[in-house]
Amino acid sequence: MTRHLPVILFLLPLGLAICLPLIGVRRREWCRPLAIGVLAAMVPVSFASLAGVLQNGTIHYDFGGWAAPVGIEWVADGLASIMTVALSLVGLVCITFLSSVLFPYLGSRIVPFYTLVLLLIASLIGMVFAGDLFNLFVFLEVSALCAYALVGLAGGKALVAGFRYLILGTFGASLYLLGVGYLYAETGTLNMADLAQRVPPLVGSKAIAVGVLFMFIGLGIKMALVPLHGWLPDAYTYAPDRVSPMLASLVTKVALYGWIRIMFWVLGAHAVVYRIPVLFLVGVLGALAALVGAFLALSQTEIKRMFAYGGLSHIGLILVGISLGNQTGFVGGVFYLLNDAVMQAGLFFWAGAIIHLYGVRTIEDLGRLQGGAGWMSVALVVIALSMIGIPPTGGFFGKWYIILGAVEAQNYLAIVAVLIATLLTLAYFAKLFERLFRDRSAQQPLPIREIPLAVRIGLGATSVGVIVLGVMSDHIVSFLLKNALPPGL
Amino acid sequence: MMFELIGGWLQRPNYIAFVLLFLWGIYIMVTRYNLVKKLIGMYLMQTSVIFFLVTTSAKRDATVPILLSTTEIIQPEVYANPLPHVLTLTAIVVGVATLGVSLALADAIYKKYGSLDEEEILKRME
Repeated sequence: MTRHLPVILFLLPLGLAICLPLIGVRRREWCRPLAIGVLAAMVPVSFASLAGVLQNGTIHYDFGGWAAPVGIEWVADGLASIMTVALSLVGLVCITFLSSVLFPYLGSRIVPFYTLVLLLIASLIGMVFAGDLFNLFVFLEVSALCAYALVGLAGGKALVAGFRYLILGTFGASLYLLGVGYLYAETGTLNMADLAQRVPPLVGSKAIAVGVLFMFIGLGIKMALVPLHGWLPDAYTYAPDRVSPMLASLVTKVALYGWIRIMFWVLGAHAVVYRIPVLFLVGVLGALAALVGAFLALSQTEIKRMFAYGGLSHIGLILVGISLGNQTGFVGGVFYLLNDAVMQAGLFFWAGAIIHLYGVRTIEDLGRLQGGAGWMSVALVVIALSMIGIPPTGGFFGKWYIILGAVEAQNYLAIVAVLIATLLTLAYFAKLFERLFRDRSAQQPLPIREIPLAVRIGLGATSVGVIVLGVMSDHIVSFLLKNALPPGL
Repeated sequence: MMFELIGGWLQRPNYIAFVLLFLWGIYIMVTRYNLVKKLIGMYLMQTSVIFFLVTTSAKRDATVPILLSTTEIIQPEVYANPLPHVLTLTAIVVGVATLGVSLALADAIYKKYGSLDEEEILKRME
């Protein structure tokens, strides 16, 4: 039974996504409880799958009974299992938030909306478990298609942002597929475990080098690595406020997870292509992303856009962590990735709730709240502390392990990059808090309004979540050290 | 040296065709302002990647990988590799789905802004 849990985890949202259009024809009001119910059911399944992996080791699931190099395989190892646990938990909180009464009534569009959200979750689960490069591509594209449609759902400017996202995303996916084709032509296999045997001896060949480069550029576009991030700020700013938390916290993070898989499980941790160590290159890109993203966030005036750029800088920090080439750094990066999923969700919950409760979109307008917004501000402060990296929160421990890894690798430039990114994060949150708490110049203060239940749940869960992640960081990190390390690190 | 290199390339016209199609697609995507023309470029690029996958399994005088009798000795070298074709089928489906979503978006943009020209749309968005 344990063997089937990863597939059950995938089939739960997929099955409902297929049934929902049929159910929705007659019973439109069932969509919301069914979707939340399925996401809630995924949480215990993902924990059970994690427990199964801990007990019996990695689960290899062969579809149709065809064994791995020939057949299609799903691999649920420690890293994949903890990713799916995070995915189901964050997904559950996100779907609770997005079904809030706060947002405009969708009418008949409620059915395709929930179908897309469920399909997005299912395809992200598929990406996490995929054991070969081509399946990763298929799930990457399914998730991206759902994301394009969800961004465009807001109408108006979101349509143009979604269209741009689609053009760039498809370009990235085509490059990724081209890279997979190069690797297949050179090695004759698509299975990751099989590739891990065959790629290292061939790593000097031109086809492998170019193929890997194409794959990384493709995934880099999908996860909005800084020089390739053009689509992200507009897409996240104009996307419907109810879906941007889900997009920001899950879609780019899972693309980053795919990058980690390919880099460590296919290429190997210490691959050197044309005398350039891959890890070094990734570290430079990560540091660049961390600094540029934070700088751009500092110069924004719109709240959602500022958080979107902040997300870019955190993608960079994760890359800096995993590029250090030692266990501490890798674990720090992965732990930071889990944190970032929670923090991004929380920030966009807050931004969405503020927009719909008070109509405040820009940082300038925050002054009109007169420090109000009740304990929503408290939740924001907690999440911001984690974004900056103040001790009791998860963000601090993520950065702490990244810096420890950098000390271990004697990579002082990485430490400088992390510290400057931290200072810049502090700066842009200071700018936001200054408006929120100290600006008393506004003429018409906004009345404090009651916060809907779903927003309370969303903000409460994420702000408690970052503290729980911080308190539990010891356990999570030792778990990652024991179960989620790539071979040869 | 130069002639040898070009001669080597001409041995594989299918790969040259792939590179041309791929770059042509990107060129259309980047230079055209009309959204539908951008989509045509995008589709051309996607198709060129599919063409590349198929062409890696091209083989002269090869046959389909079907065993006609159970007693026959299997000779892998006479068969064309079927796997890229299978990948291609899936990639075509993905491409068609992407095109469908993109056309729906382009249609919604046209209904909203009354134009398919990117500059015109950006002007009307202000």
